[in-house]
Amino acid sequence: MTPDPSGTDSGSLTKPEEAFASASAPRARRRLGFGFWLSVAWMAVVVVLAVLAPWLPIADPDETGFGGRLDAPGWAAWFGTDTNGRDMFARTIWGARVSLTVGFIAILNGLVIGGFLGLVAGYFRGPVDRIISFGFFALLSFPGLVLALLIIASLGSSLLVVSMTLGILSIAPVGRLARATTLSFAEREFVHASRVLGATHTRIMVRELLPNVLIPMSALALLGMALAIVAEGGLAFLGLSVSDGFSWGKMILLGSAPRTLRDGPWVALVPIGAMFLTVLALNYAGDRLRQYLDVRELAFGGG
Amino acid sequence: MGFLARRLAALLAVLLTVTALAFGSLNVLGDPLFNVVGFVASVDCDAVLAGEIQDVSGQTAGGRGDCEVIEAARREHRLDRSLPVRYGYWLGDIVRGDLGTSFKNEMPVRQVIGEKLPKTLLLMLVAEVFGLAIAVPWAVAAAYRANRAFDRVSTVGSFGLLAIPNFAMGIILFYFFVVRWQVFPSRFEDTDLLARLKSLVLPGLTLGLPLAATYQRVLRTDLITTLQEDFVQMARAKGMTDRWIMFRHVLRPSLFSLVTVFGLTTAGLIGGALVVEQIFSIPGLGRAVVEAVIRDDFPIVLGSVVVIATGFVVINFAVDVLYSFIDPRVRRDA
Amino acid sequence: MIAYASIWTCASWRSGVAEVAPLLSVRDLRVGFRTERGVVRAVDGVSFDLEVGSTLGIVGESGSGKSVTAKTLMNLLPSYADVSGSITFDGRDVRAMARSRERHFWGVEMTMVFQDPMTSLNPVKRIGQQIGECLTVHLGRSRSEARAEALDLLDRVGIPEPAKRLRQYPHELSGGLRQRVVIAMALACGPRLLIADEPTTALDVTVQKHILDLLDDLRRERGMSMILITHDLGVVKGRADDIMVMYGGRTMEQADTATLFGEMRHPYTEALLETIPRIDAPSHSRLVPIPGKPPDPIDVPPGCPFAPRCRACTDACLVDQPALHAHGSTHLCACHAPVGTPEGAAARSTNVAAGRTPAGLDLAVFAGAQDRPGDDASPDVSSRSGGPDDSGPVS
Repeated sequence: MTPDPSGTDSGSLTKPEEAFASASAPRARRRLGFGFWLSVAWMAVVVVLAVLAPWLPIADPDETGFGGRLDAPGWAAWFGTDTNGRDMFARTIWGARVSLTVGFIAILNGLVIGGFLGLVAGYFRGPVDRIISFGFFALLSFPGLVLALLIIASLGSSLLVVSMTLGILSIAPVGRLARATTLSFAEREFVHASRVLGATHTRIMVRELLPNVLIPMSALALLGMALAIVAEGGLAFLGLSVSDGFSWGKMILLGSAPRTLRDGPWVALVPIGAMFLTVLALNYAGDRLRQYLDVRELAFGGG
Repeated sequence: MGFLARRLAALLAVLLTVTALAFGSLNVLGDPLFNVVGFVASVDCDAVLAGEIQDVSGQTAGGRGDCEVIEAARREHRLDRSLPVRYGYWLGDIVRGDLGTSFKNEMPVRQVIGEKLPKTLLLMLVAEVFGLAIAVPWAVAAAYRANRAFDRVSTVGSFGLLAIPNFAMGIILFYFFVVRWQVFPSRFEDTDLLARLKSLVLPGLTLGLPLAATYQRVLRTDLITTLQEDFVQMARAKGMTDRWIMFRHVLRPSLFSLVTVFGLTTAGLIGGALVVEQIFSIPGLGRAVVEAVIRDDFPIVLGSVVVIATGFVVINFAVDVLYSFIDPRVRRDA
Repeated sequence: MIAYASIWTCASWRSGVAEVAPLLSVRDLRVGFRTERGVVRAVDGVSFDLEVGSTLGIVGESGSGKSVTAKTLMNLLPSYADVSGSITFDGRDVRAMARSRERHFWGVEMTMVFQDPMTSLNPVKRIGQQIGECLTVHLGRSRSEARAEALDLLDRVGIPEPAKRLRQYPHELSGGLRQRVVIAMALACGPRLLIADEPTTALDVTVQKHILDLLDDLRRERGMSMILITHDLGVVKGRADDIMVMYGGRTMEQADTATLFGEMRHPYTEALLETIPRIDAPSHSRLVPIPGKPPDPIDVPPGCPFAPRCRACTDACLVDQPALHAHGSTHLCACHAPVGTPEGAAARSTNVAAGRTPAGLDLAVFAGAQDRPGDDASPDVSSRSGGPDDSGPVS
């Protein structure tokens, strides 16, 4: 075969369209984007409102005489009232406190325990890894909601139990990610260097590996929080969630009786909307963060 | 074959673990006696025997009613033995098909589950059918004009769809189609297959739409990748129409990720069924489990967990088998 | 624009020779791709005719636009391509057919064979299915008829045990066999024009000859016309009736084979010939590449596209795009200083004296060319004398 006279690979431009079309791909991912910051803004608003709820100039969420029964949304009650005349706006904000708390504790739980287990498994490998990985596999191989049901059936449904239960469910996905990331980092030079310098295992894990593992986990944390909020909603809807206080899920349950739906759909639709927007914001932000971090990883030599 | 055997072993191990955990938690965290005889366990039999109080069944002092039951239960379920031993016996019972008796109406758990399980399975089937039937044309349309208007919109759409929790979706559908427009029945109609299917349309959609969104995203990506292949260009050069090429050349090689995701989500469908059955009043297994949990009817809970876990394992294993057929490399990997 | 001259030239190019209208007639074809960086001018004014039963060789390196030309003929361009110019096949307007989504033209009258047979075939479909598809869809054959015809085709292209092959998958065949299968697929509906885009580049050398011979035989047997696209002049030398040399999306030189090799005019054609390693060269002779790289198709500089790499480059070449001039009734060349003309000789000697071309190309890179013995291809003696030629005026 005679050499191609130009000295370049003859295959690269036989499909000119691909070569040119790919020029635009990397640019879109280098910034987090407007949507990301919009999601963050929404979350900030929700969190601030939820935290400051007791001090905000809003109605008492349990006050049954705030308005008439099932008032439609209007000037007096921005989100309307429910079957007991309670202000939906106030209830939504107070409901956010429970939903967000559960989501937050759950994912924190998952991050701490799952992250720890994953780090240990990825670092020590061998039999330790096998046991932990099997644990992850077992946890993942089972429908979460049913597992949650089991635990709640045994332990009751206080805020703490519910949060911890959902936390247990998030251990496996977080743990697997932590393990995979740890595995990829554990072979790198700076870890070897630390060991040569005589650092203990703990020191290596905490000082060298943990910061690197935290990066991808942060993206997963956002996604996990969204899932936890939804899961809590599901449990609440089944009547199995937080018995002290009410969450968005419980509000949805209360609003979903056919009569109420017919006469005052906002009682269910408002908390649904709040949950939808929050979950969407968390999902979107988590996804964008993940893409953004992936690109950075690749730029620094890949994992 | 080694691969499949190992997977099977792993899944069985999971099954055992889960049942052990379930059995253990219910027996350790709760009162084992309670698990067996229910509220009757609260009777203080010593006091009854001493004639100091009446027992719950209303018999006079000296009446042995409940306490006899308690004693009988103690013996029968070997409550004086240790937990692992009891677990072993319980497993033995399970394998022989005896899942215990419900507290509520003394019916054997097996019968209760047997009545309710088919409806849940039918619901899951309808949901999958909806999911695939919507996802495939959607993905094809999006991949065909990748990155153009329709594709962009549908990406946003799937994101949105996936952000709606299934119970919210169910309520919204219920509100519009049952309450306002009254197109579908509000309760599950069990008369004949057609009525059952009609009752399952909305619940099926509730579960199926998010499924479709997930399937569509995955399938679309694979389709786009396959469309870059040279043989697509060759087929166009042969004068085949775009539609022919899409369905007869491109679709089949692009199904890998879809099959994987199908396996992952089908098992998760079980969880979704719990919620949907509540909203649409479907007397399926999900609803039975939830009610049992609320009522502390432990035999039902335990039995259902076993059934669900087994189903889970079966589905996962079936997916593994399917996968190894599609991709022979999986079989070879030792 | 400058192109007008070439259009008129081409139109009269063949009129004296054939009484029958050409099978394929391309006039001023321009293809641009709209991308984010700008418009890529892949084909920039190409015209040619193809007679019934003859073979046209289109030669050029990567980026010359030869494959895009083929794809334009075959209606395989992506949606962001802009096409202008006319393509007429047997009196029919091909572009109009593309717009109206004509279903039974491509794959029937005009077919194409691609470079890599492995990726041209669908890996999950059997050979028989892939051949049979053309027959059932275009010719309405039944399954059994299609199978019988497919068997025939496989046999005709020289595949042993055709019945067994029908049921096999592409990965079960060797590269040469696969390419034969692809050819069989292309021939299934009896096309009048077969376009072969680098049909042998992905194959072993020994197999290459067989495939090219096969294409020749089939062409003669069926009275088919063929367009053979390649970067290798050696491939078209014995097999094409006419040759068109492309560079930077434009035609550099067009002639029948004998004329092109015997009396080439364009420096690029000359350079291409020089790159062919020769059997009779002494061992350890250096290979002669063409220095530089293909032009950026988006930021097209004015003037001749080959100017930056041409040893006969003049100042005019940098600003003035040369039009196709006739150098004989069937010989066209687009150059301001063609090989074997006084202008060409003058340009070369000027550059040799200066040590570099007006485009900044250092002539030292051409040192290797001067040592080649007995070059029968190039009539231009001045660059072969072994030293700077002082006989011409320095301009």
